[in-house]
Amino acid sequence: MFNHHGRRAAPSLALVSAGLLALALAACGSSEDSSTSTIPLKAGESPLGQQLTGKHRGGTLTVYDHEDFEHFDPGEAYGGQDYTVLYAIERPLYSYPPNTANKLVPDVAAAAPVISDGGKTVTVAIKPHIYFSPPVNREVNSGDVAYAIERGANPNVSNPYFHSYFNDIVGAEKANGGAIAGIETPSRYAIVFHLTKPTAGLLYGALSLPLSAPVPPEFAKPLDAHSPTTYGTEYLVATGPYMLKANAQGKFLGIGYQPGKSVTLVRNPTWNPHTDYRPAYLDQININIGGEPTVIGQQVLKGQDVVQNDSPAQSIVKEAYERYPQQITFTPGSGDYYASLNNARGPFTNLDLRKAVWAALDREAIAKVRGGPLVAQPMTHFLYPGVAGYEQAGGDAGPKVDYNEHPEGDMAIAAKYMKLAGYPSGKYTGGKTLQVVGSTGEPQEGMAQIVNQTLQNLGFKTHLSLVDQSVMYDKYCTVPAQEIDVCPNGGWVRDFADPQTVLYVPFYGPAIEAQGNSNWSQVNDPKINAAMQKAELVVGEPARAEAWAKIDEMLVEQAVAAPEVYVNQASIEGSGVAGVNQLWNSGAWDYDFTSLK
Amino acid sequence: MTRYIIRRLLWGVALLFIVSALTFVLFDLLPSGDPAKLRAGRTATPQAIAHIRHELGLDKPVYTQFFDYMKGVVLHFDLGYSYYSHAPVKSLIAERLPATVSLAVGAIVIWLLVGLSVGIVSAVRQRTLIDRTAMGTALVFISAPEYWLGLLALFLFASDIGKLAVFPGAGSYVAFSSEPVKWFTALILPWLVLAASFAAVYARLLRGSLVEVLGEDYIRTARAKGLPERRVVMRHGVRSAITPIVTVLGLDIGTLLGGALLIEVVFNIPGVGRLNYDAITHADFPIVQGTVLLAALFIVVANLLVDISYAFLDPRVRFK
Repeated sequence: MFNHHGRRAAPSLALVSAGLLALALAACGSSEDSSTSTIPLKAGESPLGQQLTGKHRGGTLTVYDHEDFEHFDPGEAYGGQDYTVLYAIERPLYSYPPNTANKLVPDVAAAAPVISDGGKTVTVAIKPHIYFSPPVNREVNSGDVAYAIERGANPNVSNPYFHSYFNDIVGAEKANGGAIAGIETPSRYAIVFHLTKPTAGLLYGALSLPLSAPVPPEFAKPLDAHSPTTYGTEYLVATGPYMLKANAQGKFLGIGYQPGKSVTLVRNPTWNPHTDYRPAYLDQININIGGEPTVIGQQVLKGQDVVQNDSPAQSIVKEAYERYPQQITFTPGSGDYYASLNNARGPFTNLDLRKAVWAALDREAIAKVRGGPLVAQPMTHFLYPGVAGYEQAGGDAGPKVDYNEHPEGDMAIAAKYMKLAGYPSGKYTGGKTLQVVGSTGEPQEGMAQIVNQTLQNLGFKTHLSLVDQSVMYDKYCTVPAQEIDVCPNGGWVRDFADPQTVLYVPFYGPAIEAQGNSNWSQVNDPKINAAMQKAELVVGEPARAEAWAKIDEMLVEQAVAAPEVYVNQASIEGSGVAGVNQLWNSGAWDYDFTSLK
Repeated sequence: MTRYIIRRLLWGVALLFIVSALTFVLFDLLPSGDPAKLRAGRTATPQAIAHIRHELGLDKPVYTQFFDYMKGVVLHFDLGYSYYSHAPVKSLIAERLPATVSLAVGAIVIWLLVGLSVGIVSAVRQRTLIDRTAMGTALVFISAPEYWLGLLALFLFASDIGKLAVFPGAGSYVAFSSEPVKWFTALILPWLVLAASFAAVYARLLRGSLVEVLGEDYIRTARAKGLPERRVVMRHGVRSAITPIVTVLGLDIGTLLGGALLIEVVFNIPGVGRLNYDAITHADFPIVQGTVLLAALFIVVANLLVDISYAFLDPRVRFK
């Protein structure tokens, strides 16, 4: 995902005993999806084996979420937590069924896109008989999809990923909310995207993002004139099975959403089930915002028709696994964490020093700090489980290079690279004090301490600063001018299944920004940049997976960062819930498929 | 008296101005998240961030931002808009205030009833088993962290997760206007937990103060005159000994009405304290400013009321 762990990072997860790990490994089954890890979602189930057939139709689900939501506007929402509501109320052109992290299916679109002109034109047919919720109540047409995407460039909406994925549409680069020349609507049920480069493969994936969910211009345009827009903050219309409870004018603020208190989703009366693959079993979803994580966890585990929307507390994960195994799921492929090493200036411009840190870092200790093997696995390369290209790039074991061989850390191999870097004693003697900036709060603090200790073991003098996560992001690690040498709490979650969304922004040189930079390591290798430019144009999933797997290998060869862990997301449900996880969204509950027993 | 009140009110206004200015300066100086970046998202373009910064007025000098803010407050009672939810701060606080007031008032009633009763009994029966037990228990409640006590109460007595399902659990708060009975039952546990440590402090305070007063000559004189002991203690003893309690009460009421953060979080009560906490984590400065201003206002008003009440409690006090 082009954000750092969009679903709020687990506050802390359990240190699960070795005995539990043995149980988990014993329960591992084969997976249909070769790129998905084999840790079970539930006892005895493979990640792909979850029941999509609901138990009962009807009823009200209570949801606990100790943090508030950020955005309900499909043009602004950008994070796993917001997506749990967004994908229940809005339908993009394409979407992922909950039991896959990779296979897109048509949603508002009628079929897969037709890619022509050597990958520079994408034509999408739109289903008829999809309707907007009240007060709009009319049929969706191609103009609504065009407006939805165009408003992403409106400064009052300022969609966070518009320029990452939609910039190649002709005229998009200079768009500011008005019509974009490269988007045509030849009929009510067809939309055509003309691209400046043959990047149709990437655009196809991006059409699964909420930005492509139709927005009625006659309703939203006056709201979009406000700065910031009030579409999605006060008013909203839905196309999905559910809608935010609203008044006759479509206003939901204070009705279906009380900031910091509650969200109420009710059935969308104009939703047409014949156009949708979602069963939408529930009648209503009441989300309670706030509360203490351990109390919420207990309420869910001992409750009936209730789930927790965000990450359960560390003690709750342990208790759930031991006492309520049927009520907890673990979803692999929920992102990764790595320590970024400054490739642009300072000691880590030296490749061998970067390899030494990689070799010395105890990734197993970091996995333990994050909660143990059920929720974290040592990371071995930069594509992570569930992302196309993961297997091609080495799978769980990762590339066969000596500095990657021992996830528990190997000081002998580290010493070898220290010597190659010009330090015959095997210890750094350069005199530079490294600036290391991490985040406060567990488990981030523990991870930062391990990285810091590793650096000191290699002879570096370090100055470790632990600051609030938002300060770490905004003032230090995303600002190259601060010249931070190591940021030990970096991480990434993909936006959609395409491997480009995992590797491009964090490691593409020309993507480095003076402020808000996501390429924390400031990787700017001409060979890697050229390979990315080439891979961006590749069309077709297998070919793209192959191309980006090769880039992953190049990143490992250059040891651009020190890998830490792959994340598995824990989710808990009450005993009366037949919950379904969204594999594509870090295991969040899918309210379109979840039912009551 | 009137001149005294007017003078105190003017000082109160000056104090609120100073508190507002300090909050502004602190938020500007201390490292905190950039609201424009938080609003724009991690990968927003610098142009998008600049646009948002301009729209939020964050590109102006801090003194200009402060002047604009104070102008809005004074002329229109406008506390601005939340950076995060875009809702007016005034309405967000107004929505949350009833929950905080409900929580605070109920707890105050309980702790005054319990704390004062225990304090009087302990003072009158000093060095007895009752006194030692009461003061020992008070020490336990003073030492117990409120957060821990709240969790313990839920795990013992909450109907959904407790060992003994007695009271409604966390998240069961509803507005008084919608369901008065549910409102009452949902607040019983939070009231008891919030009142526990305050009651303990007040009991110890009053005991100490009353023991001292009961040793005064005028108390001996009252007894020598043959007044009933109950009258001696209540009219001559407690009335004099309660002055320091009233002083503390003023501060506590003011502070609590500004939000009882820990209790609101543990029991998931959507009050002002939680609003403030969430705002701090989201760098949502207008809400932080609004809630700080509100808390300061409550403290100023509560202290004024306390000072006025001295005249009624202690005839020796006259305002000049």
